[in-house]
Amino acid sequence: MTIAGWARSLAMVLAFACAGVAARAQDAKGVVTDPAILEKNRKENAECYGCHSEAGYKNPPRADMDMVKLRALLHDPAKFDGSNHVGMNCKICHGQPYETYPHPAGLKQNLSPCSECHATKSLRVEKQFEDSVHAKNLKDAFTCQTCHDPHVYKVAQKIGDPRVIVAQDNQMCIDCHNSDLRYSKFSAQLSTQKVRPDLDTLHKWLPNARLHWQAARCIDCHTPVSKVKSLQTSHEILAKDKAEKNCVACHSQQSQLAARLYRYAATNAAADLGFTNPSYLGSAYVIGATRNPWLDWGIIGAFAATILGLFVHGAIRVVAAGLRGRRAS
Amino acid sequence: MSSREYLLPLWLRLWHWTNAVLMIVLAVTGASLHFADPELKLVPFSLATTIHEIAGIALAVTYAFFVVANIVSGNWWQYVPKPPGVLHRCWVQTRYYMWGIFRGEPHPYPPTKEVNFNALQAVVYWTIMYVAVPVVILTGLVFFYPTWAPERMFGLDGLLPIAMLHYVAGAAVILFMVAHIYLGTMGVRPTSLFRMMITGWHEH
Repeated sequence: MTIAGWARSLAMVLAFACAGVAARAQDAKGVVTDPAILEKNRKENAECYGCHSEAGYKNPPRADMDMVKLRALLHDPAKFDGSNHVGMNCKICHGQPYETYPHPAGLKQNLSPCSECHATKSLRVEKQFEDSVHAKNLKDAFTCQTCHDPHVYKVAQKIGDPRVIVAQDNQMCIDCHNSDLRYSKFSAQLSTQKVRPDLDTLHKWLPNARLHWQAARCIDCHTPVSKVKSLQTSHEILAKDKAEKNCVACHSQQSQLAARLYRYAATNAAADLGFTNPSYLGSAYVIGATRNPWLDWGIIGAFAATILGLFVHGAIRVVAAGLRGRRAS
Repeated sequence: MSSREYLLPLWLRLWHWTNAVLMIVLAVTGASLHFADPELKLVPFSLATTIHEIAGIALAVTYAFFVVANIVSGNWWQYVPKPPGVLHRCWVQTRYYMWGIFRGEPHPYPPTKEVNFNALQAVVYWTIMYVAVPVVILTGLVFFYPTWAPERMFGLDGLLPIAMLHYVAGAAVILFMVAHIYLGTMGVRPTSLFRMMITGWHEH
């Protein structure tokens, strides 16, 4: 952490402590809950959005602004309010000296690293990330923000609905893996440049690939099951040769998806109706995993009874025919 | 002394055996998909999916041929249980299977050129071919084009009730097939009816 980073962290702690609101200003997860702080942050963020939003871009407060530069620095207030960081002040991450225009040079270097707030998580994530294909190929060029846009991203636990989780998380992957422009930007940093492989061709072996992409996350196959219980979604992204290709890993009663994508969906299902993997019921039918043991046993029983009945019938026919033959002779 | 009568045209026999092969393939692959488990040695999931889809589409085409050919040839009439006395004739036929056959009694309603099926056969065949099989095919097509399924049904994912219907109707068809194969041994000789389904000639 840089000296500026330490100073900023210290200032944050002092600010909360001095106001005497530290205990009620945040919930257990560190989300700001104090209405006065929320209102203060909303007002201060509105000043940033005055330029750094679509509306600000269309009606800039000054005529001398670098509009080309600004175009690349726009954020959607609605999306931010739906993100994990809702309620936070822009300056918590971006630092203080933004009051003047043009802003002082080199501010980007002062941006707080994610680990400044997410210290414990970062330690665990980093270990998994080091083994990922991204870390091996791109090293430091690949950061948390490469996938997780802090202005938009929301953790799965807070989303709950698996379909929404899938849409958000897969978008992070296809932003690069389905974009020649973005892919080549990263590929340029490799010793031997790579041409972006076509996703449909890569997944040709997978039946109904596009259907899978709507119902499951890329990472559900492209990460190992994490050994860390509290961090079941691993950040060790696997290349295609190591990714899960065993269909029954998900398509069986012991479906892995229950502990991954559907980890937070259990409470969403209205009723389990006796089905296996009941957390799936509200959003998907997964062949092999969504089963009703009562129905299965009923059908197996019907087959067993029919086959047994036919065997008995056949046996009686054979015996009866034998007896008739003996009687006739 | 037994006599022979030509009852079944070539198109009907070809359809019957094509249908039979497809049904067996669909049953084996369908069971492999539904009961998929790392511990069970079934058809590998990915392969079962591919085969099930191809055989399913082939079954839909075969069924369309069956319906059209039945209309054109007038064979559809054979499947209609004809009143009066349908229930009584069904009972007589059931009694024969449950009792008469063991005593060596003759078939109560042997097939003729005009009436191929006894009343019980007509009722069951009609139910299977015009209710259960269309349900299996239509729900299977929704599986093939999942966007056809409603988004939600009964507060659940829309594909779930479709899938359950597909499973139950499919099981009913295969359950029928098991009994159908056994009843095929009830000709003059145990192999007579199987031979008829190949040659078209019925042995009285």
